[in-house]
Amino acid sequence: MSYESLVLFKLYLITAPLLFVVGIYAVITTRNIIAMIIGLEIMTKGVTILLAAAGYFNGKPQLVEPLIITMIVVEVVILMISAGYIINIVKKHNSLDVSNINKLKG
Amino acid sequence: MTVSLIFVPLILVIMLNIPRLSGKTAYYTALAFFVWQFFSVFFPFLGSQQIADLIGKFFTLNVYADGISKIMIISAAIVGFVSLITSKVFSKYDSRLFSLSNLMLLAAAGINGLVFAKDIFTMYVFIEVIAAASYILISMDKKEGALEGGFKYLIISSIATVMMLFSIALFFLVAGSTGLTEISAVLNDFSGNTIVLAAIMLFITALLIKGGLIPFHAWLSGAYAEAPAGVSVFLGGIVTKTTGIFVLIRFLYSVAGFSGNIKAVLLIVGALSIVIGALIAVTQKDFKRVLAYSSISQVGYIVLALGAGTAFGIAAALFHVFNHAIFKSLLFINSASVEKQTGRLDVDSFGGLGYKMPVTSGTTAIAFLSAAGIPPFSGFWSKLLIVLALWSANCKGFAVLAVLASLFTMAYFLTLQKKVFFGELNPKLEGINEAPLSLTLSAMVLCALTIGVGLFFPYVIKILIFPAVGII
Repeated sequence: MSYESLVLFKLYLITAPLLFVVGIYAVITTRNIIAMIIGLEIMTKGVTILLAAAGYFNGKPQLVEPLIITMIVVEVVILMISAGYIINIVKKHNSLDVSNINKLKG
Repeated sequence: MTVSLIFVPLILVIMLNIPRLSGKTAYYTALAFFVWQFFSVFFPFLGSQQIADLIGKFFTLNVYADGISKIMIISAAIVGFVSLITSKVFSKYDSRLFSLSNLMLLAAAGINGLVFAKDIFTMYVFIEVIAAASYILISMDKKEGALEGGFKYLIISSIATVMMLFSIALFFLVAGSTGLTEISAVLNDFSGNTIVLAAIMLFITALLIKGGLIPFHAWLSGAYAEAPAGVSVFLGGIVTKTTGIFVLIRFLYSVAGFSGNIKAVLLIVGALSIVIGALIAVTQKDFKRVLAYSSISQVGYIVLALGAGTAFGIAAALFHVFNHAIFKSLLFINSASVEKQTGRLDVDSFGGLGYKMPVTSGTTAIAFLSAAGIPPFSGFWSKLLIVLALWSANCKGFAVLAVLASLFTMAYFLTLQKKVFFGELNPKLEGINEAPLSLTLSAMVLCALTIGVGLFFPYVIKILIFPAVGII
């Protein structure tokens, strides 16, 4: 690995966890259930970047491409299911507030 | 066996939907599939090889079956079968039965794929297949509590999945491949590397979240207790065991190995889950919530056994996974019987139900005794193995804790049994009858399995459990 690519690699290695942490922060602090899903998506994007960078720096981008595409497909499925959840929750409570789904205790 | 067990349920789902058949057809197809799955483990000639050859002409899949996956396949088949039967009793409409059977088949395909996977990324994909099916299953009836429990499960489990993916990316960075053997080879060379340590830590944390262990248990009680009755059987019996515990066993056994730190983490998390899970279970007022917290406690035993770090410990953990799948689904079926006959699950409102529902009461008592580790039921032998494994691995304090914590198990189960089934008959329950035959029959079959495995445990251990981890 040359010096430039090492610097570049460190950049990726900083960015990906940063996005991950931003996503977790969003999920924890938000009061809006759609924003929660967006936080999840930000986390996933961080991982996607890391996976792509790992393939690039390993010299095996052809191996990572199918992985990333599979990941995106799986992600969309989960996103659709969470959208279904959100629609039903909003139908029940008529609001997007997190406090509506905070009743189960213990 | 491997390829056909993954593809046949998927093909069945397609055939059931194009053209759309009736719910009854879907139900019996799914039942037949689970029966076939069970027997194809013991009798490979049952057509599965021919199907595998046929599928092999179109796809190449990198899968293999070992002893560990066989144990999981057997448990999945049993639990899937009884949970479908339980769901049938609660399905008033044909369309509900139809979607339930389809989702159950999808989840079965996911479980089979997960236990046969040889590749860490394939594991992730199949975990998401199981998770997607179970998210929908939980909130099938669109009840308020189920939506909430399911949404919490979705969020927390998705965070765990992303953590898992993060560590997969790190593993790929180090190893240049996602195969289990390749990663394991590289991990030996880079054992002190920071990236490798971070990846292992993230992966294990993600699996502990998915297994619902303390301190990551927040989602579990909501999802288990609010799900429809049949789905609770499926979730409690097999879903968290495969997505959490099985992957943990596979990862530790064939990739990471047991270093001192990993063992310490597993022992501490296991011990915490056993004790705190049991303590919370004592305070719960809802039948299914007690069972959910007892699930946390029992999974704690499994993780504690893994913490011993020996092949014997893994064998004990696997045996307890199998036994737990059986007695926990038995308990959830009995909670379903109670719910079906009385319409509620609030523990304090019952009393003397044993006079009216003798089969449910008796099988529940046997499942409790098995869970608490009373001989000659199956739970006793797996707990004995766990204690022996801990003792021989020089974790004597944890072995003593495992024995003493059985008292906690006794405590909450005896309280539950007394409040619901024993004592004076509550006058409001005068008109209650025994549960429908399909529920009592499946309860009795599972009960017979608990007793049978307990009585013939040398054969079970010799044929299934010890060969799986290479102890002869």
